[in-house]
Amino acid sequence: MGKTIICHCEDISIEELFSAVEQGYKDIESIKRYTGIATGTCQGKCCLIQTLRALASGDDRSSPKTASESAASTPLKGIAVKMPTIRQPVIPARIDRIIKAGEKAVKKATGKA
Amino acid sequence: MNRTADMVIIGGGVNGVACAYYLARRGMKNIVLFEKGYLGYGATGRCGGGIRQQWGMDENIILARDSVRMFEKLSHELGFNIFFRQGGYLILISDERDYDLISKTIPRQNELGVPAELLEPKDIASLVPGLNLKTIIAGAYCPTDGTAYPYAVLWGYAEAAKRRGVDIRLHTEVLIISRKSGGTYEVTTTNGTVHTPRILNVAGAATRNTASMLGIVIPTKPYRHEIAVSEPLKSFLDPMVISIRKGFYFSQSLRGEIVGGIGDPDEPSSSSTASSPEFLFRYAEALRKTFPALGKVRIIRQWAGLYDVSPDARPIIGTVDGVDGYYHACGFSGHGFMLSPVVAKLLSELITTGKTSIPIDSLNLKRFSEPGLTRDPYVVG
Ligand SMILES: Cc1cc2nc3c(=O)[nH]c(=O)nc-3n(C[C@H](O)[C@H](O)[C@H](O)COP(=O)(O)OP(=O)(O)OC[C@H]3O[C@@H](n4cnc5c(N)ncnc54)[C@H](O)[C@@H]3O)c2cc1C
Repeated sequence: MGKTIICHCEDISIEELFSAVEQGYKDIESIKRYTGIATGTCQGKCCLIQTLRALASGDDRSSPKTASESAASTPLKGIAVKMPTIRQPVIPARIDRIIKAGEKAVKKATGKA
Repeated sequence: MNRTADMVIIGGGVNGVACAYYLARRGMKNIVLFEKGYLGYGATGRCGGGIRQQWGMDENIILARDSVRMFEKLSHELGFNIFFRQGGYLILISDERDYDLISKTIPRQNELGVPAELLEPKDIASLVPGLNLKTIIAGAYCPTDGTAYPYAVLWGYAEAAKRRGVDIRLHTEVLIISRKSGGTYEVTTTNGTVHTPRILNVAGAATRNTASMLGIVIPTKPYRHEIAVSEPLKSFLDPMVISIRKGFYFSQSLRGEIVGGIGDPDEPSSSSTASSPEFLFRYAEALRKTFPALGKVRIIRQWAGLYDVSPDARPIIGTVDGVDGYYHACGFSGHGFMLSPVVAKLLSELITTGKTSIPIDSLNLKRFSEPGLTRDPYVVG
């Protein structure tokens, strides 16, 4: 069987995800940082939902389980299937664009005053 | 959970897990560590990972120097790659006062075994091509400074501590600490109660809160510091580049991202870890001004963490008079990660033998009730 890539930016397979869980990284924030899933350029927009789905169904990919069903199964026992903190910028933002936006905001603020 | 322990550690940041490891290595049994979130939920997981030995006070130079010696061997010792990379630290100097201070300090750093040197602008240009040197009069560079991946340091210490029997309890918050007769403490958590003769309070910016449960007053204040990361770029930057005066820094991680931040002198004390657009504007401007070609690079994420700042911006480490069996370490401002291997090792010595191999009495909480505080001029933020 070939590898199933779950995070394309960072090239991480579903097997690596499950191996992290088996090693005790059972928290979405820790899983993210241990595997690198959702830390690439897409910041989780492509891979996060797949990751959460995989965590919820365990390695039995034929029948997805609910979060509470998966919480009772191994090796995913005790895992909380939830979203990590979502932070700005919502989409990657070029530094010179950020500077422009900042100048605009200053103009607007001082213009009003 | 209702039990006894020989040692309770409050806080799963780098100081907590590292000290758990060094205590277990010294043979202490029955150590329990409580972390209210996951490992790295506090400052450690939000930090820049910078490690520098270029400091102004002997105390910081020595602690950072010895930490670097430990970081150099840490991946091997822990059996965990901490991604320690000695790309150096380049301090950009644009101000005569900083030039005077730094050129007077370098000989002392050298005497203490830190190979820092003063660079002229042309040396800077060959070390980091692409820097805008228009306002830069000189640089200070130490090739053995560097960075490590904070999460890997945490996990490496935690795994090694667990192998030696340390019980790490995540998602468990310490709520109440009370002193019992017979010299023990009762520690109540969200997940049960533990009785212990010893407590190590290393709860980061919350250390003052956990200390206050025992009536101990710690004069630190939390300040938000923001940080951002770019898309990955092909490796082009070896050193961490910083401006002490502007509180600005950036480096390239092993994954290729530019990680950096800039302090805000007007930031009020608060426990907010919210991200602000104002930070992003200031950081983007400082970054493009310092390294113009980065203007076209995209920022993919920003976040914030808390500096725990003491009145002299020096850490508070050690015991508290009249509170037997209690130890703490906090007030690390923006440099607690780089000092952590040695600080944790010294704490483990203090806890098991009552002495430390490097004197740390000058860092005791007591100093704030005595006149005169000294601040290290190399502190950022
Ligand atoms: C943006 C930023 C950048 C930084 N950059 C650098 C750098 O480049 N180099 C450097 O050396 N330092 C840097 N620092 C500073 C460094 O991160 C800290 O000094 C260091 O991580 C402190 O480690 P700690 O273990 O003492 O505290 P923390 O990492 O804060 O850990 C304390 C832990 O205690 C937990 N806790 C709190 N209260 C309780 C409770 N009641 N019960 C249970 N658990 C509790 C918290 O959840 C937290 O995880 C930076 C900090 C920030 C915010």
